[in-house]
Amino acid sequence: MADKSFNAFEMARAQFDKIADMIGLDAGTRALLRSPLREYHFLVPVRMDDGSVQVFQGFRCQHNDARGPSKGGIRFHPQETIDTVRALSMWMTWKCAVADIPLGGGKGGVICDPHNLSAREQEAICRGWIRQLARDVGPVTDVPAPDVMTNPQHMLWMLDEFETIHGGHYPGLITGKPVGMGGSLGRTQATGYGVVYTLREALKDLNIRPQDTTASVQGFGNVSQYAIELYHQLGGKTILVSSWDQEEQKSFSFRKMSGVDLGELRGIADRFGGIDKAKAKALGYEVLDGEAWIEQDVDILLPCALENQITGETAKKISGKVKIIAEGANGPTTPEADALLKERGIFVIPDFLANAGGVTCSYFEQVQSNMNYFWEMDEVLGKLDVKMTAAYIAVSEVARKQKLYMRDAAYVVAINRVAQACRDRGWV
Amino acid sequence: MPKKGHDIQEKLLASLQERAKELDCLYATEELLNRSDLPLPKVLAALADAIPQGWQHPSLTRVQIDYEGKSYRSRAFEATEWELSADITVQERSVGAVHVYYTGRPPEEGESPFLREEERLVRTIAERLGHFVLYQRLKELREEWQGGAGAAAQDESSAWRAPIHLLRESDKDLYLRIARKMLNHLARIGVAEAAAMLPGTVSGATEALPSTGEVNVPGRRMSQDNAVLLSDRPFELASRYISGEEIFSRVQRWMQEDKASYFMRVLNSHKSSMPEISDAIRRFHQVVADGSELPPSTLKSLRVSLTQRLLTEQLDFVRVAKDYMDTRDFLELLDKVIMPPESHGKLGGKSAGLLLANQILQRDQSAERPTGEVRVPRTWFIASDGLSNFIEHNDLQDAFEQKFKEIDQIRQEYPNIVQLFKSSTFSPRVVSGLSLALDDLGDVPLIIRSSSLLEDRLGTAFSGKYKSLFLANQGTKPERMEALLDAIAEVYASTFGPDPIEYRRERGLLEFNEEMGILVQAVVGTRVGKYFLPAFAGVAFSNNEFRWSPRIRREDGLIRLVPGLGTRAVDRVSDDYPTLVVPGQPRLRANVQIDEIIRYAPHKVDVINLETNTLDTVALADLMRECGGRYPALDKVFSVLRNDMLHKPVGLLTDPEKDELVTTFEDLLSGTPFIHHLGNMLKILEETLGTPVDIEFAHDGQHFYLLQCRPQSHADDSAGDPIPKDVPAADVVFTADRYVSNGYVPDITHVVYVDPLAYGELGSPSDMLAVGRAVGRLNKMLPKRQFILMGPGRWGSRGDIRLGVSVTYADISNTAMLIEIARQKGGYLPDLSFGTHFFQDLVESRIRYLPLYPDREGIAFNERFLLAAPNLLPEMLPDFAHLAGVLRVIEVPAAAEGRILRVLVNADLDEALGYLTVPAERGRLQPPHAAGARRAAPDYWQWRLQMAEELAARLDATRFGVKALYIFGSVKNASAGPGSDIDLLVHFAGDAEQRRALLDWLEGWSLCLAELNFLRTGYRSDGLLDVHLVGDEEVTASAGYAAKINAVTDSARELPVGARAPQS
Repeated sequence: MADKSFNAFEMARAQFDKIADMIGLDAGTRALLRSPLREYHFLVPVRMDDGSVQVFQGFRCQHNDARGPSKGGIRFHPQETIDTVRALSMWMTWKCAVADIPLGGGKGGVICDPHNLSAREQEAICRGWIRQLARDVGPVTDVPAPDVMTNPQHMLWMLDEFETIHGGHYPGLITGKPVGMGGSLGRTQATGYGVVYTLREALKDLNIRPQDTTASVQGFGNVSQYAIELYHQLGGKTILVSSWDQEEQKSFSFRKMSGVDLGELRGIADRFGGIDKAKAKALGYEVLDGEAWIEQDVDILLPCALENQITGETAKKISGKVKIIAEGANGPTTPEADALLKERGIFVIPDFLANAGGVTCSYFEQVQSNMNYFWEMDEVLGKLDVKMTAAYIAVSEVARKQKLYMRDAAYVVAINRVAQACRDRGWV
Repeated sequence: MPKKGHDIQEKLLASLQERAKELDCLYATEELLNRSDLPLPKVLAALADAIPQGWQHPSLTRVQIDYEGKSYRSRAFEATEWELSADITVQERSVGAVHVYYTGRPPEEGESPFLREEERLVRTIAERLGHFVLYQRLKELREEWQGGAGAAAQDESSAWRAPIHLLRESDKDLYLRIARKMLNHLARIGVAEAAAMLPGTVSGATEALPSTGEVNVPGRRMSQDNAVLLSDRPFELASRYISGEEIFSRVQRWMQEDKASYFMRVLNSHKSSMPEISDAIRRFHQVVADGSELPPSTLKSLRVSLTQRLLTEQLDFVRVAKDYMDTRDFLELLDKVIMPPESHGKLGGKSAGLLLANQILQRDQSAERPTGEVRVPRTWFIASDGLSNFIEHNDLQDAFEQKFKEIDQIRQEYPNIVQLFKSSTFSPRVVSGLSLALDDLGDVPLIIRSSSLLEDRLGTAFSGKYKSLFLANQGTKPERMEALLDAIAEVYASTFGPDPIEYRRERGLLEFNEEMGILVQAVVGTRVGKYFLPAFAGVAFSNNEFRWSPRIRREDGLIRLVPGLGTRAVDRVSDDYPTLVVPGQPRLRANVQIDEIIRYAPHKVDVINLETNTLDTVALADLMRECGGRYPALDKVFSVLRNDMLHKPVGLLTDPEKDELVTTFEDLLSGTPFIHHLGNMLKILEETLGTPVDIEFAHDGQHFYLLQCRPQSHADDSAGDPIPKDVPAADVVFTADRYVSNGYVPDITHVVYVDPLAYGELGSPSDMLAVGRAVGRLNKMLPKRQFILMGPGRWGSRGDIRLGVSVTYADISNTAMLIEIARQKGGYLPDLSFGTHFFQDLVESRIRYLPLYPDREGIAFNERFLLAAPNLLPEMLPDFAHLAGVLRVIEVPAAAEGRILRVLVNADLDEALGYLTVPAERGRLQPPHAAGARRAAPDYWQWRLQMAEELAARLDATRFGVKALYIFGSVKNASAGPGSDIDLLVHFAGDAEQRRALLDWLEGWSLCLAELNFLRTGYRSDGLLDVHLVGDEEVTASAGYAAKINAVTDSARELPVGARAPQS
């Protein structure tokens, strides 16, 4: 039974093997990159509120740090397994490499469910986690961040414990801190803007002027809103936005052929990007089914909501007019759909390149923390543009020259960079 | 309002002012008479000046009070021909009079210038003065005596004489009773002469004593006895054996007991009306200052009687109330009760529950279990027969016919009934009472709540079926009055609404006449801009039926908290969520990620809009922008969302107009003892009342107010189902014995089953995702709340998809129940999610959650049925046909010969059972859409009654020496639960042999019935019968349990005996 079921780590390895074959990577480098460089397994004993002691299992995987300190989140999850953590740490290595930031990949976690834990108990887990790893993480070795069921509060507890142990201030230990407590401005904007920086470059490649384009956007959360904001600044026109309706528990699309007004929609949306249907109608929007975003006659599709939205089935509905899909969400396209898109020659900016704005901003946070000097917003966004543009150009060049599908090209670039760093250091 | 009603209304309001004056006058009188510091003459003089204010034209009114030869006159006194007067009588003897003169001219020659009410008023004042004078005399008497106690030490033989004489003078009957008691006492301590003097002493007893020389001739005895008693002899005798001090203290106590017995007579007489009772208590307190000198038994029975008459006859309630409500509490209460003349009404369950809970909390909080200060909002009550009074007053008796009509017709006609009621008028007594209430409550917003007597009896779904109405209560008094009367009429009309009638019909309870008390209660809160609202409010339950973590035990309780009015916590609203906290685990949170916390925080607030006089729901964000700076206890209720972090406000710097505020109650919960206090309240109330409770509360930022308290089983939804034990094994689909929560599950027609083993073996994540998508599609196709989802591990898992089907709430929103199956995997039992991923959505939609552990010992899991039943998936969703090996859609009736799946849950037993059975009759399949709709409670009492009747029919009366058999208690009252026993009363007149045979015979029945009951409900007991034998003497004397026979209220019911007994 177990051998038949799927395993995240096996999948990550299979994907790596495929690219390694493409590159023709030598056996030694393969062996090094197929597994995490270091793994920590440890116990975190916690005195519970009722006086009893519960022992939690903690992990940290540092997949590869040839290009810089490991970087990756800490997950609190009741069903955490070491294989999940391994797979995710490997993925972080590639993500940092494709964005060309000087960081490696890591991931960690604790098997626990915060729904069963008081704030004090969670704090004890955070501090216990750091006590076990105080010598093995740090601003120049391994930099954790928030992830599933952890948040800035957890990061501050961990930072505080680390600084207590080491007797000094090291805000660069960890990212995802609140602004004013070592966090960086621009984090909210980073992912959405990053998507459009890459989109802008892709349009240049395809010789299309942004002001001549229209787009259809799935989702109206942070990523989507800032992507639309920047896209409109470039002169583009969004004709449709889809959004989740909490009350009806389904999504709807809001269309205005003359172009949606972002400010207007923000004014009638809740904090989670849920757009008020009645108010939208009053403002002259057509309210359509949630799936309608994919069938529009537009030049650009921006899936910025959930995974697995472009499937073998839905991909058939994509209009012949569509030239670019920029993946703002994680994994919006299934492998079957990928094959279809490849066949139809639609240009895809793959998720881990398109939405690398987030991790780039985390890197900026760490840089600022290390020098204890914090940039203004325009400085953050300006530097983000530079990094994202460079990252895109590197990938698209490879795609063009090697005649690779963009997704494969991004992996080739990433793995190549990591392998090169290992080689340059004389590891392999 | 139609014209007729309006005219009457105006007239009433005009005369209302007069009534208010009268009452002012009475209050002024009362106040003066209660001034113990003033001597009588001063009181009378002041009174003469106070009385005119009660008359139509105070400036033209003059008063003279005559008392014992002296006259006390009002200012500028002048006697005229227009006079009203009333005698002041003490012990049926006139001792003075009150005269009222009118110095103006009457409107027409020869007519009295006085109103009829004024004639009554002067009589009332005179009567009141009479009582006062009597009281003063007795007081003087006592003081005189006590003052003389020192002297009495030297001259004991005569010290008692003066006061006893005075008593004899002032109240001969009382004196006789006291003298008799004295003789009884002396006889008891062995004074033979006393025994001889006693009236009614049987000659046999007399013979045993030394002769006193008296001839005991019955015919002459009465006059002689009284003569003896009226002479000084009893007390002379007493002074020889006991001290003067003792004589005095005994006489004093007997006098008090005697007074109390008067009240007992009033209370026990079914003829006494509520005003009479009210009056009796008032007088009781004037005579017996604090009642502390009465024997505890007397006090207790007094409290029992009061509770039964005013609050409720529920025995469990009375049992507790007698220890917590003293007569003074009743006295204060009665000041706030509005009743029709000759009222025999009660206050109803809601009022009773609130009053008792408040008393319990005031008395039982302790250093170990503090509850903080608990208040109850100012409340006025209308007695339950206010409804019938209203109906009679307006000739609306036709409305009683409503309940016998077809439900559709009732539904159709209901709006007319509401209008009819609203255009009717109230009796003057009720209107004047409400006028007082409005003056007392002021112009704060009010809530008009029903307090039904049927609710007492049934609890259950009656709550919520009747209306509660909010009133802004703004404007002039006539405006406020009109709104108040209108609201009360509407609440009254709701008794004839289709929902309660249908419910009563289903339970066969139409015959019980509905009586409904009303609470007029000040809404807790403060003014915030144009709105009125409490800082926060909510409801708290002793038992937690929605647990998101295995660490939370059922008895840890649950609190639903909202900002503003508690309506949003009590009801379930589809688009918003209350904050959930658990007193037993105060630090656990249902939502832990910031996004979750924000999404599942209350975003809307119910408020009273003082400008439009309406109950509004406003967006919290708008409220904050508009007037957030004035929100009470702002820092306790909200956290500030800044830079992706929720901050508990540190101090004054929160700016609701700029900061983004999220309702978290974080500082309230972690920075104050609030949750600890509330947890203690629940524990104290649960222990004292002997049942889990649910309470409603509100907090105005300063004080905590208790708004309601009732047994939790009375809340809809939280009573456990019986778990039958006689279901054939083949019909059982699953059983469970861990983490079971109570909650209604409708009959199930479809099961969506994700086979745990097959799911674990799916090769690709995309297939697993497809299972989730297919479930989402099925959710839209299957009948709402008639299907259940069963699947492995954690539904909605976002991590490792192998551990549970990846769904969002939208994919499961129509299921009736979510079942997570934990299969053992090589010695490792996976954790279940308890639905945490969409926990609050489950709570608000009442989707039930149940974890199954099929591999545990003693647990049934009918995998064969689930796997062998035909699978509808390929037919319903051809796209997903390839998943048929994993995902099964079972139409239960098709797979099980027309039967359905019934899921019964019982958290008390921690057991659940899903089994195939025949569908229930009409009404069972309806989804629980409205608050209060739930499975018609199983008729435990009907079954018990049937069994008792059967037993009686088979009882051979001759063989066992049984004269009659009665049933009483919960079975007779239709309130029996699944664990209740059957109370039988046997009028027995046989010998010892027969007695033993009878008890053996009954014991056999008892054991058999207990076993039957266990099979039906899962409740185990040693025997189901509680048998009480009473003999002829007890029946004649109405003593002990025999008092139940022919009792005025709640009497035992006779069962026909021997119809099917074998003829021996």
